[in-house]
Amino acid sequence: MAERLFYGALFILTLGYLYFAFVTIKAPIQYDPLGPETWPRLLGLLMAVALAIRLVRPSGVAPDVARKTIIRLAVVAGFLLLYAILFQRLGFILSTWGFCSAVTWLLGTRPVKAVIFGAVVSTVTFFVFTDLLDLNLPGGLLEFLD
Amino acid sequence: MRIVFAAACAVGMFAGGAALAQNAITDPECIAPAQPGGGFDLTCRVAQDGFSEVLSEPMKVSFLPGGSGAVAINQFNTTRTDDPNAIVAFSTGSLLNIVTGKFGEWTENDVRFVGTVGADFGAVVVRADSEWQNLDDLVATLKEDPTSVIFGSGGSVGSQDWMKGAILLDTVGLDAKTIRYVAFDGGGEAIAALLGGNTDVFFADMGEMTAHMDTGEMRILASLSPERLPAPFEEIPTAIEQGYDAEYTIMRGFYVGKNVSDEAYQEWIDVFRSAYENDHFNKVVAEKGLLKMQMAGDELNASIADRVDRLRGMAQRAGLIQ
Amino acid sequence: METVLSGLAGGFGVALHPFNLFLVLVGCFGGTLIGALPGIGPTNGVAILLPIAYGLGLPVESALILLAGIYYGAEYGGRISSILLNVPGDSGAVMTTLDGHPMAVNGEAGRALSLSAVASFIGGTFAVVLMSVFGPLLASYAISFSPADYVALMVFAFASLASLVGKDPLKTLIAALIGLMLATVGIDASTGIKRYDFGIPDILAGIDFLVVIIGLFGIGELLHLVEQQVTGRMSLLKLDKSFVSKADLLLTKWTIARGSVIGFFVGILPGTGASVASAVAYGTEKRLARDSEKFGTGDPRGLAAPESANNAAAGGAMVPMLTLGIPGSGTTAMLLGALLLFNVQPGPLMFQQRPEIAWGLIASMYIGNVALLVINLPLVGLFARMLTIPPRYLTPLIGVLAFVGVYAVIGNTFDLKLAIGLGIFGWILRKLDFQLAPVILGFVLGSLFENNLRRALSMSGGDWSILLESFDSQALYVLTALTIVIPVIVGRRRLRMAAQKQ
Repeated sequence: MAERLFYGALFILTLGYLYFAFVTIKAPIQYDPLGPETWPRLLGLLMAVALAIRLVRPSGVAPDVARKTIIRLAVVAGFLLLYAILFQRLGFILSTWGFCSAVTWLLGTRPVKAVIFGAVVSTVTFFVFTDLLDLNLPGGLLEFLD
Repeated sequence: MRIVFAAACAVGMFAGGAALAQNAITDPECIAPAQPGGGFDLTCRVAQDGFSEVLSEPMKVSFLPGGSGAVAINQFNTTRTDDPNAIVAFSTGSLLNIVTGKFGEWTENDVRFVGTVGADFGAVVVRADSEWQNLDDLVATLKEDPTSVIFGSGGSVGSQDWMKGAILLDTVGLDAKTIRYVAFDGGGEAIAALLGGNTDVFFADMGEMTAHMDTGEMRILASLSPERLPAPFEEIPTAIEQGYDAEYTIMRGFYVGKNVSDEAYQEWIDVFRSAYENDHFNKVVAEKGLLKMQMAGDELNASIADRVDRLRGMAQRAGLIQ
Repeated sequence: METVLSGLAGGFGVALHPFNLFLVLVGCFGGTLIGALPGIGPTNGVAILLPIAYGLGLPVESALILLAGIYYGAEYGGRISSILLNVPGDSGAVMTTLDGHPMAVNGEAGRALSLSAVASFIGGTFAVVLMSVFGPLLASYAISFSPADYVALMVFAFASLASLVGKDPLKTLIAALIGLMLATVGIDASTGIKRYDFGIPDILAGIDFLVVIIGLFGIGELLHLVEQQVTGRMSLLKLDKSFVSKADLLLTKWTIARGSVIGFFVGILPGTGASVASAVAYGTEKRLARDSEKFGTGDPRGLAAPESANNAAAGGAMVPMLTLGIPGSGTTAMLLGALLLFNVQPGPLMFQQRPEIAWGLIASMYIGNVALLVINLPLVGLFARMLTIPPRYLTPLIGVLAFVGVYAVIGNTFDLKLAIGLGIFGWILRKLDFQLAPVILGFVLGSLFENNLRRALSMSGGDWSILLESFDSQALYVLTALTIVIPVIVGRRRLRMAAQKQ
């Protein structure tokens, strides 16, 4: 079921991909007979055929992922997204602190320990990367530490 | 502000010496909208090193790669529109990208151009053992059969490398669509293809030919500059003196965000103007293989408006845009 | 030959100066640290550390020696994340994960890391020796390789990859197509028009390879770790003190030798480099092995082949850069840029005009290779200890390192979100028994294939016969046919022999 769902979703995406390849992609000037559209058309058609075969005859992989696991994974993905959004705004130290604490807590660490872990990781990595390796990381709200 | 400007003039007159004081610029940053190592990196290095006697704080260089500058212009129009500290490198190629719509909705009116640090020019290059000694030879072959010559460059159709060729062909009434053109990934691959015999003519930048001048492997048929360039190029004839009205100047300079305060904008202009008078700056410019082109503020804005118009005309003639 | 020896002697005179030796070790260590970040290999490692090297105001020779150290360090550091975290450092290290990570999971992280160091050292040194002796000769061959020949090479590479096919060829095809389709995003390299950019400037120049790697592998691995912990399937690895043994080296000596040769010759061709080299080397070894089913489960040969090949390829890529001033790969383009920043122009004239720099650089590559062994072999145990970090702490750390990797190079948060999306997708692929290596190789080779095919056809004005014209192309197509046919014949003969025995 999960497999068919995945192939179905990819199939719809492939149809969209093919739509662009056949309708919109076009160059005003080209020196090769293929142009920018032929290669994507070829890839899209191959993909559509391969997916169609698998839609009719799936390979029979049935991943057993419990609902509870899915929810946890979704929460972690949410944390990641939040981390990405806040990375520049709050700056590296604060966003990393929050992210590390949240994930370790979710994975079963006591809150106090998780917060301490986040604090240590975020400050240590920040100074290692910015001072020692001169990487460019956002200071954010703590810009003055730079 | 007038005091700042006066100070700049003073420094300019007594060349060298102390850096002029900046108020709005506290933490100067040069943004190269590319990966390290390319032309934008070079432009920033010129500013970083060349402004060392003009800026009161050292300048840092950071990279913002993506879409040959599209990511940078987008960022300076969405999140960093008023950052007084950052100048972003641009070139004539960026203007061409604006004209052909590669930067999306952003145009030359969405940023404030500050100043140039130098210029480079187009070059028409062939292998040393090529039958063509000058542009006339090449054009004669082309007129006989435009498909008998394979052109190769480091950029796609519509890039400035291609544009150089289109402009040259246009002067003799040939359509760039009728030739054979191969787009490589950067000048390095294009030189490899020329030397390896896979292509016949390479549209290069004069700057990148500096290193290959004495190797005897390639010949520059013409420089696409308005007049002859200084050493080591003093022997290279321009296309114009060979009777072909083709010129391609690659301007290298900087812009700031649209909402940067007038005060900061003026301070940057002053930095550029005093750099033009500074020996160290001019030495750095020459060392990095750039030729003199010094325009800041209104002068530059006028020149850019003019260039964008001309590029738009060329792009239309070549059939790139409607 | 004499000029080579005297040049090298002079070069070593420069490079062996105690201060320069110190620099190469420092560079190697810093490079290893930064290369160990997921997704950051030599190209990005050099890019990130270049400003520091530039800012130190060192004399040119010393700065170049520092860079060589950084380069080899980052090259090796990339292997650490491939083996321990299953996240390749760069495109050349994708094949390294196939057997390297299973070895680590089997409790042989130390063995894998040390074997990788030895194989890298041999491959790298082999390439540097060949480069210093035959460089100019090879360079002229490398540049004569035409777009049509590259098309043949790509066909050959994809045929070699057929050995990657697991039990379900159709799935491998779908995986490769996903990579190929992702590679079509962004401005078309031939005509300059936009494809699949949806008005997003961040992907106008294409999706960055780093983002694909960090997303599919890094974030995907993070989600995988979370899942294993939630379901209680995660078992803590004990500290392993395994190390490469004499038996390992005897087992892999021919693998390393073949990998080095394949790597070097693929590497000298501009534009291909380590990813093609390691894929071809891995495919070759798997095909030659009688017990090929062991590949992919932690076979030392499956690690030694790509490791020797990608380092040899990295050395090979230096040939056109140093002798002709033509960068043949991302990393050499970076090094070329670095040289230019120091006002050194690589090319044939560098050896005449500034021999101390040219030979100093080559000597520092010899030394950089040695430094890699010296710095990393004693530290293998320390690196392996990373796996003993309790997973609930390791999991967020992978996320942090992945984000640092993307942000340090691209400096933008859009790509972080893209990496997360790709990570979720990568996790789903893993759940459905897809391999990730074909996705990555499709992504890397896709644009090379398309661009060269179209270049060849632009040269001929649309005449397809150009693809078969040159000797190089013909030879490669014959090799391709052999790679496909021989396993079939050998397989049948083995079946027949097995039948006769019964």
